[in-house]
Amino acid sequence: MKKVITGNQAVAYGVILSRVDVISAYPITPQTTIVEELSELIASGRLNTRFLKVESEHSAMAALIGASTGGVRCFTATSSHGLAYMHEMLHWASGARLPIVLVNVNRAIGPPWNIWSDQSDSLSQRDTGWIQLYCENNQEVLDTILQAYRIAESVKLPVMVVLDAFVLSHTSEAVEIPTMEEVDPFLPPYCPEYLIDLLEPKSFSVIATPEYFLEFRYKIQEAMEQVPEVAKKVDDDFRLRFGRGYGAIERHGKEEAEILLITSGTVTSTSRMVIQKLIERGISVAGIKIKRFRPFPSEEIYEEIKGAKKLAVIDRNLSAGVGGIFAQELRASLYSKEERPHIFGFISGLGGRDITPELIEEAVQYTREHPRPEEDILWLGLKK
Amino acid sequence: MGNQITIKGASEMPMISISLGNMDWNKTGAWRAQRPFYEDKTPPCSAACPAGNDIVSFIRKITEGDFEGACNLIKEENPFPGICGRVCFHPCESKCNRGSFDEPISIHALERFVADFASRQNKMIEGNTRRVKEKIAIIGSGPAGMSCAYHLARFHYEVTVFESESSAGGILRSGIPSYRLLKDILDREISNIESFGVEIQTGIPFGENLKLEDLKDYQAIFIATGAHRSRALQITGERGKSVLSGLDFLRGIHLGKRVKLGERVAIIGGGNTAIDVARSVIRLGKEATLLYRRSKEEMPAFEEEITEALEEGVKIRYLVNPIHIHQKDGLKRLECLRMELGEKDESGRRKPVHIPNSNFFIEVENVIIAAGEEIEISFLPKGIEKREGIVLTQRDGSTGIQGIFAGGDLTSNQRTVAHAIGSGKKAALAIDCYLRGKDTEEAIRQILIGEGPSLSIFRHLHPEERPMNPHVVTFEELNMDYFEPLKRERESKRGVRERIKGFGEVTSTLTESIAIEEAERCFSCGTCNQCENCYVFCPDASILKAGEIFSRQVDYDFCKGCGICFSECPRGAISLKEEAR
Repeated sequence: MKKVITGNQAVAYGVILSRVDVISAYPITPQTTIVEELSELIASGRLNTRFLKVESEHSAMAALIGASTGGVRCFTATSSHGLAYMHEMLHWASGARLPIVLVNVNRAIGPPWNIWSDQSDSLSQRDTGWIQLYCENNQEVLDTILQAYRIAESVKLPVMVVLDAFVLSHTSEAVEIPTMEEVDPFLPPYCPEYLIDLLEPKSFSVIATPEYFLEFRYKIQEAMEQVPEVAKKVDDDFRLRFGRGYGAIERHGKEEAEILLITSGTVTSTSRMVIQKLIERGISVAGIKIKRFRPFPSEEIYEEIKGAKKLAVIDRNLSAGVGGIFAQELRASLYSKEERPHIFGFISGLGGRDITPELIEEAVQYTREHPRPEEDILWLGLKK
Repeated sequence: MGNQITIKGASEMPMISISLGNMDWNKTGAWRAQRPFYEDKTPPCSAACPAGNDIVSFIRKITEGDFEGACNLIKEENPFPGICGRVCFHPCESKCNRGSFDEPISIHALERFVADFASRQNKMIEGNTRRVKEKIAIIGSGPAGMSCAYHLARFHYEVTVFESESSAGGILRSGIPSYRLLKDILDREISNIESFGVEIQTGIPFGENLKLEDLKDYQAIFIATGAHRSRALQITGERGKSVLSGLDFLRGIHLGKRVKLGERVAIIGGGNTAIDVARSVIRLGKEATLLYRRSKEEMPAFEEEITEALEEGVKIRYLVNPIHIHQKDGLKRLECLRMELGEKDESGRRKPVHIPNSNFFIEVENVIIAAGEEIEISFLPKGIEKREGIVLTQRDGSTGIQGIFAGGDLTSNQRTVAHAIGSGKKAALAIDCYLRGKDTEEAIRQILIGEGPSLSIFRHLHPEERPMNPHVVTFEELNMDYFEPLKRERESKRGVRERIKGFGEVTSTLTESIAIEEAERCFSCGTCNQCENCYVFCPDASILKAGEIFSRQVDYDFCKGCGICFSECPRGAISLKEEAR
C-alpha cells in the first residue's frame, strides 16, 4: 500500500513492521514525532510494545541495553545533543554486542543553537562500534529499518539509521508500505545467543583483564568485517521480496567518468539531477552515494572509482582541524591503493543551509578546472 | 567454585565477557554490610484502637474478597464488629497515615460491612464449649463485661454474666438509640458470645438480688456495671415533674414506653448522651434545644454526631447555663445565665464563667438533663477504692480485693464502647494470669500493640504467629511513589426528612464493590501485603519465591545488602540492620 508520509512516520512504520518489543526514548526535535507516533499507538493498545519513559537519552539507551540483554528487540530514536548524551551507552551497546536499532535524525550540535540538519551528531559517534546507514528518501528510511534489524541480529552489533532533519523527517513523500505478512518471513524473531535467565544466572559484561580485552575488541572488528557480506545478502533478499535494494554505495550517472561526485543523505537526490544536467552538457561526471558509513565500504568504493581522475566529496559536516569526515575516510581508505584519484573535499550545508543545485554545480566546476585541490578544505557557499 | 577454563585465544572466547558457568558459586552475600529482613511493624490505626483490632489484616482480607476471614480476624480481638462499625468514634481514622496523603480509610464503614456481610453468610466463629478451668462471674453485660466474658470463654473458663436488666447489652441496649445501633445487631453479637458457652443471667441486680457472698463458687469476679446515673445539676427545680434524666429517657424509648413530651424540650449537656437525647426528641416529633455551657470547640460529643443532629433540626445554644427550673402548670421556665470562657481548667478546656446579671428565660414543656453520668457505688464491696468518681484499679484491672477485677465505665473517664471492650479484654487476660499464677504485667507487655495500652489477644493465644515490631509506622516512612490519590468511600445516609420519621438506621452498610475499593486504598502500613515490589526491584534476584508464591524470604547467599528493597517497599515492611562484623 502506498501512503504519503513523512520520514519520521516512515520510521514509525518500520518499527511497527519489525515487531519491536521495547521502545525507550526521550523527546528531542526533530526526532520527537517518531516516538510520539509510536507511543500513541502503544497507549491506544494498537501496538503491543513496551514503552519505557525515561528522563534522558542516556537512560533511554541504558534501558534498552537492559532490555536487549533480556533477549528482546529494541528501538530508540534521537538527534543531536540527545545522541551526544547517549555517547557512553553507545559504546556499551556495541561492546555488549546488543543488536539495538537507533534512528538518528541528523541535526547540528550547538552552540550556536540550531535545530536543522547536518551530520556532525552521527559522525561524531563513528568510533562507538555502531553500524551506520544513511538514507536518501522516506522509502529508504522504512526499508533500512527492516534491513537494520536483520543485519544487527546476524552480526550482533547495533545499527544507527540516519536521516536528514526536516528535509526527510518532516517532509512527506509517497512510500510503499509492506504488510506484516510480507515482512515477517524477511525478518524472523530475534534469537539471542546469550540472555538474562534467572534459572541460569550468569555475569554479564564482567571485567576483562589486559590478557583478554584486546581479543574482545578484535571480535568486534571481526563482526564489522562480516557486515559487507551479511548486508549484501540481506539487501539481495530484500530486493527479491520487495523489489527495492540499496547496496552499501550506489553509482549513478555515466558508467565511465573522469569526475565522481561523492555524497550521502538527501544531497544525493539533488546531485542526481545536477549530474544528469551536466552529462547532457557533455561533462564526464558520475555520482556515488555512500549509504553505509560504518563499516566504511572501502572495497566497494575502490571497485567503482577505477578510471576516475578526481573525486569531489560533499561533506555536510566538519571535523574542525581536518575537514570533511567523508573526505577524510576516503583519503584513508585509498592511501594504500595503486590508483589514487585526487580528492576534493567540499564542506557545505552546515546547520541546515540548503545545498542547492548551483552549489553542487560549482563543486563539479571547480573540480574540472583544477588539476588538484588548492586546499584540503574547499568551502561551498561560504560568505566571507 | 567451578572448573577453571583455559582460553588460548579469541577463537575460543565467547562473543562477550560473560561467565560461562553459572554464578551460583559466587556467594556475593559475603559482601553485605547491612541485612534487609521482613519485619511487620505496627500500623497507627491498630495502635490507636482501644479495642485492639488488627485493622490492616482485616482490610487486606476484604481486598481478597474473604469477608468471613476478615470478620474472624476482628473477632480475634473484639466480639462486636457490627456494633463498633456503627458506634465507635474511630480514633483509628484520625491516626490513619492515608490522612496525610488524601483522606483516611473509612475503617468504621469497612468494619460494619464485614460484620454485616459475614452475618448474611450466617456463619459464626465456632464456639468452644469445652470447660476445663475455673468458674468466673461477670457483673454487667455491657461492652466491658461481654468482651471479658467472650475472651475468658475462649480461654476455656466457665463464665456466667449477671445482668440487672431483662436483657443483656448494658449501655449498648439502653443508652444508644436504634437509629445508631439496631437491636438486631446487638442481639446477633451477644448471641454469638453465648455460643462460646457464656451463660447470661438477666434480671439479677447486683447488690440487691445478688451479693458478693453468693459468688463464693467463682474463682474470680469482674465488675463492669458502668456509669448509669445521670449527674445532677444541683439546681432548684430539677427534681420536679417532667424533668427527666437523659439515660432514663433513652431507656424508656428502648423499652417502648410511651414517653410523654410537650412540644418544646430543652436538653442540658454537650456530650454524646445529650446529642442522642436531642435526636431522639426530634424523632418523637418535638422541638429539641440543646443548652451547653461552653462553646462548640469544647463540646465533648463527636463531631459527626453534632453535624447530624444539626441537620435533623436540633438547635444548640452555646454558653448558656440553667440555674433554676421554674414550674407553673405544664410549662417550665428555665432560668439561665449567659457564660463566657475563662482560664483553662484541669480538663484542658476553658472554664465557663457566669456573666453577672445576664439572666434570661427559656420556655419549654420538658427538660432532660444529660450532663454526664456517674457510677453507682452503693453495692460495691468494702475494700474497693474509689476516687474522683471512678473505681481505682491497677493497670490490669485488679482491685484491692484478691480475685475481684473491675473495668469499663466504672473505672475510667474515657467512656466509649471501644475503651470498654479494651478494658474487658485486659481483665480477661489479667484473670487468666491470676488464676494460672502468671505475671500479668509481663503478659501484658508481651502483647501490647505498639506502645499500648491496647492488647492483642491473638498474640496471647498464638505467641509465635504474626510477630510485630512495636514501632508505629509514620507517614514519612512510607514510599508515596506507589500510591495515587483516591476518593474516600463513605456510607450513604438517608435524607433528613426520611430519617427523622423514626428510629431506623441513618447510614447504610457499604456495598461489596465499594467496600473492596475502599479496602484497596489502605496503605497496609508496616505490613507486607505481598505487592512484590521488592521482588521486582532486587538487582540480585535475591527475593525468593516458592514457585509462584511470594515467600518473604531473602536469599542471604546472594543479597549484597544494597537496601533497594527497603527503600522501594511502599509500606515500611522491610527493615535493615547492620551485619555483625
